[in-house]
Amino acid sequence: MIITLTTVVGVLYHLTFSHHGPALLTPFKEKIEEKNRSLIMEEVKFLEEQEKHRHFHNIAEFPEMPEDMRPVCFICHSDYPHSKSKKVRALLNMHTQFFTCEACHFENKPGIQTVFSWYNPMDANPKGPFFGTSYDSESGNLEAVNDKFSKITAFIKKGGDLESTMQKQDAPLALDYVKIRDQLTPNERDNVKKKFHVNIKPKGHECKECHDRKSILDFNKLGFSANRIVDLEQLNITGMITKYETFYLPNLFKDE
Amino acid sequence: MKHLKGVTFFSLFVFLLLFLCFVFVSASDAADSENCLMCHKYRFLGRIDEHGKKRNYNVDENIYNETVHRNVPCRDCHTSIQNLPHEPITDEVNCGNQCHIKPPFAKENFSHKAIIDTYNKSVHGAKSTDSDELKAAKPYCKYCHLNPRYTKVEEERVSSSTLERCFNCHEEKGVTQAYKHITHRLRHKTSRSRQEIVELCSKNCHEDVDKMKKFRVSEESLESVETYRRSIHGKAVALGSEMTADCVSCHATSKIHDIYKKDESASTVNKNNLKRTCQQCHLDVTSKFVQIDVHSGITSSEKPFLHFLEIQLGFVLYGTIFGLLGLALIETIGRKKDGIKWQIKGGTTWRGKSKRGFEDE
Repeated sequence: MIITLTTVVGVLYHLTFSHHGPALLTPFKEKIEEKNRSLIMEEVKFLEEQEKHRHFHNIAEFPEMPEDMRPVCFICHSDYPHSKSKKVRALLNMHTQFFTCEACHFENKPGIQTVFSWYNPMDANPKGPFFGTSYDSESGNLEAVNDKFSKITAFIKKGGDLESTMQKQDAPLALDYVKIRDQLTPNERDNVKKKFHVNIKPKGHECKECHDRKSILDFNKLGFSANRIVDLEQLNITGMITKYETFYLPNLFKDE
Repeated sequence: MKHLKGVTFFSLFVFLLLFLCFVFVSASDAADSENCLMCHKYRFLGRIDEHGKKRNYNVDENIYNETVHRNVPCRDCHTSIQNLPHEPITDEVNCGNQCHIKPPFAKENFSHKAIIDTYNKSVHGAKSTDSDELKAAKPYCKYCHLNPRYTKVEEERVSSSTLERCFNCHEEKGVTQAYKHITHRLRHKTSRSRQEIVELCSKNCHEDVDKMKKFRVSEESLESVETYRRSIHGKAVALGSEMTADCVSCHATSKIHDIYKKDESASTVNKNNLKRTCQQCHLDVTSKFVQIDVHSGITSSEKPFLHFLEIQLGFVLYGTIFGLLGLALIETIGRKKDGIKWQIKGGTTWRGKSKRGFEDE
């Protein structure tokens, strides 16, 4: 019995982990892989690898929010929803780390009072500290925090309660849309999309509405540190975008 | 009026002085003297480009400040950026640019130009005669070289007597680090492990036979990865050896980037240079020794005897294993049928009374 078991273990090892082993199983592995092959997934993986080499600065690992907890907007608009304005698209996309789409694009109708507060789909009452609200006193970089998913969103004030303006991907309407969207004609799809966007305005806030001393965001209440508030309210880049067509970098001190 | 002019002149002077102080102090303090991280420190700075590719422009300052390029100002590499917000960068970075780092005792700023010149002459450098497809497939600097985090060499192989003499003029901390850096590089041809080198040359490139066929490489080169993995060098490296030859050990000198086709006289694997190449590891290299085929493919047409022997040994190995297994299986089935049970007791694995009337011990 012991001899049989040892022989079986030996053969299994030889077929799997030994130097020759995997080669013996390769044809079977290839057959299984061929069945589950997805050209799109292969392309996605290839592009990710390519991006890593192109980027060169070391892409920082960051946990991804579970698919069903993302706002419904991500189904169509992805992590990088802004693409129209060549000048500021990347800068606008940068804001998606800190804001849900509704924070900028929620259409505030008369009689509705909105307030901005932190929202975390995994934590009903996020306490922070939140990323981007303070600097590391030693390095001067943005302070690293444990909470990776909290974002600022718009809440509607109803009496003493706050009601979130955002819709998650597991909301009934979103779930239904994902299920049946392939069965809809383009016209029907447009109608459904209009329903999704009924409270959404296409253009978000202007830079100055937030990056100003009279900001619509109460940075203090949102937990930003004093020096971070000064930097956000007096942000140089806002001026570069709104005041200048092009801002030339001086080459005065270069050796050229 | 005169008084006003004086105030304006004074204000301008103070402003200029402050500006100069700011520029010089920040330039000497950090690589990001132009504050590119004001935007690039954010993780979602990016876009989907015109070809549907996701582009992320985030530079994590905590990670970047630990990498080997941490002291190089951004625009030393990204030279095409002249204004803000800048246009999408379409030019590849030229690693042959001079940057604003001056190595100790050097007269000129640092540049990778010498390496690039060597690389351009090598088989991997793009030639004017190459097709566009081949040019695009050849590895550029960033294909092999990522921007690794700087790791301090922790080896204790430091000559304390040599170092002591250095301390007469230099500060202990900096010079110890520099000494370790230099001597470590002298002992190791590459900073990557043997396994990483093999992976780098194989993955998405030399092991991709279809790709290699397109570029009309020799029959031998088509099988190079497979034959290397079957060789004693390949097996030892796969098992974790750091003493055995990887691709770069044989195909390049200490310049690392001077890889040529083997029929070129400068190639380390050219028959005239093989002795010197093998002598890097093997002390007694004879003319017979260098005739050993390192990338040996065992085919019936090329090496019929070895091919036959390999099949025979395979039969012996698997015949023995499956023969033994088969016998054990037949024995087990027979005894089970006879009603004898398995038991591990006192060294005996079979116990019970056989249906055919005899008792097992």
